[in-house]
Amino acid sequence: MNELIPLFEFQRVFVTPWTQDFSSSVWIVLMGFFVATACGLVGNYLILRRMALVGDAISHSILPGIAVAFLISGSRGSLPMFLGALVAGAVTTVLIEVIHKKSRVKQDAAIGIAFTSLFAVGVILISLFASKVDLDQECVLYGEIAFIPLEGMVEFAGLTLGPPSVVRMALVTLVVALLVGLFYKELLVSSFDPALAFSLGINSTFVHYALMAMLSVVVVSAFEAVGAILVIAMLILPGATATLLSHRFPVMLGLTVLHAALSAVLGLHLGVWLNCSLAAAMVVAGTGLFIAAAAVFGYQQTHAHEHSQNNNLRGRRGD
Amino acid sequence: MQLSRPFLLGSALLLAAAAAVSTVPSSFAAERKIRVTTTTSMVTDLVQQVGGDRVEVSGLMGAGVDPHLYKATAADVSKLQQAEVIFYNGLVLEGKMTDIFTKLARLKKFVYPLTEGVPEKKLLEPPEFEGHFDPHVWFDVELWALCAQTVVKGLSEFAPKDKAHFELCGKAVATKLRTLHDWSVKKAAELPKERRILVTSHDAYNYFGRAYGFQVVGLQGVSTVTEAGLADMAKLVDFIKQKRVKAIFVESSVSPATLQRIAKDAGVKVGGELFSDAMGTPGQMENGYDLGTYEGMIKHNLTTIVGALK
Repeated sequence: MNELIPLFEFQRVFVTPWTQDFSSSVWIVLMGFFVATACGLVGNYLILRRMALVGDAISHSILPGIAVAFLISGSRGSLPMFLGALVAGAVTTVLIEVIHKKSRVKQDAAIGIAFTSLFAVGVILISLFASKVDLDQECVLYGEIAFIPLEGMVEFAGLTLGPPSVVRMALVTLVVALLVGLFYKELLVSSFDPALAFSLGINSTFVHYALMAMLSVVVVSAFEAVGAILVIAMLILPGATATLLSHRFPVMLGLTVLHAALSAVLGLHLGVWLNCSLAAAMVVAGTGLFIAAAAVFGYQQTHAHEHSQNNNLRGRRGD
Repeated sequence: MQLSRPFLLGSALLLAAAAAVSTVPSSFAAERKIRVTTTTSMVTDLVQQVGGDRVEVSGLMGAGVDPHLYKATAADVSKLQQAEVIFYNGLVLEGKMTDIFTKLARLKKFVYPLTEGVPEKKLLEPPEFEGHFDPHVWFDVELWALCAQTVVKGLSEFAPKDKAHFELCGKAVATKLRTLHDWSVKKAAELPKERRILVTSHDAYNYFGRAYGFQVVGLQGVSTVTEAGLADMAKLVDFIKQKRVKAIFVESSVSPATLQRIAKDAGVKVGGELFSDAMGTPGQMENGYDLGTYEGMIKHNLTTIVGALK
């Protein structure tokens, strides 16, 4: 056992990353934070819409996009792969909505149908046309958070901004935060109560597709930057943790960002300690925060929730 | 943007340090070892062979690690950052990581894909996708000897003073590989031409087949997501029966289930486990060779194949 788990040395785990290795750690943590924030903010709405696993779905359903992009461009370069994945991601979300709306199948089942079919189409395409070329998400699309410090720096107007993928992800996160701020009411009302949204003159369908388009961009950019596991987890964990701590939506969004930041920092230290994949360590840190929140606040909240549901039921019976 | 101001100083310092490092080798090389970082275990072995005690090689992918399944750790980042010279296989064997190597090559001068030493006309490519070369070059020992020259070139460019030394080591390695190649040709010749049919799990042995006169049939494609179709399996079973192939082979890094099924359907035995994308554990001996070395890997594969097909 002692051989498997590295010794916990305070100096190596907590001090070195912020002194000697500062120039690597800072970008890894910032990247983790941006990915977790962008995913977490979108994720809050996904949880409300019972679509939390759509990230996992997209991680599979981008395969045909990659295959088609390769067959058209003849290249496994980053740009064609990214564009192919983006289109396939958008198609997935549209397909989910169409299946859900047209067939009365619930969202989770619709997600299941959409992504497995698309993934299967991808496998068939590769078997038929490209079996001699190594072509899958892992090989041509997914990035690795640990390698970000090796990318070199982007400079703008004489200022060193940071590694290119961190700068890109920061922009994506900024846009997500802006959109969530600007269309706060529309997103909230249409997520909670489409009927009320309709009466307020909000086009719920449009809002849904806009949210899904945003989701596709966030998810595929993040896959390209840090790989799948961190993205899939951070669509759910920050929002789910925030739900345990508050029922007020603005507070939940704030807590989401806090969870994102803590996961990134704690994940870095966990990853350094265990010398393991940093993305996986950030996910485990995020899960740890969720468990902590559930242990401290979850019990009361569950009770309060049941109580209010019972009240609701009573109210309905009264009708 | 506010954040980046403090880092301006940091990155300037970093650049200065990088510049300092790149001027060091000519004066330092004789006294201390060159820090080299490599990817797969085959690359690590080759660099160790050529560099000998002048290099300190740290490989990112250990024994038995499939490059497809490799995940980087925090320590790997420092290995790459502190490396003075980096060698990798190339031809997209390392997948998306190749992007990082290209970026590093722009910042640092000493980053080399070993396969750059192999002329394009000697590389195999699927006819329908020109330019997407098969990366499993190491199974043709002669081509691997060409890759050894890339190591000589890389180390000499980093430490020009030691150029003569590395060239000498390179020659010794080339001779060793020549002997291994001759041994392989002789070993393969123990089988009559019509018996030299190699049926395996995935398409990793095309160079091997070309070099040692085997017809190679892989059950699944190169990518890990593709699976064998039913028709492929039936065709393969017919093929095995028709050609009276005596044994087929599983690979150390691919699940053996489908291949075992085919062996059962075709009524042939599974001839043993071959190494494909990674070598064995260092120190694991078999018939006098170490499975954790390139030589051991090649000898194990050929002995297993020839033994089972005889």
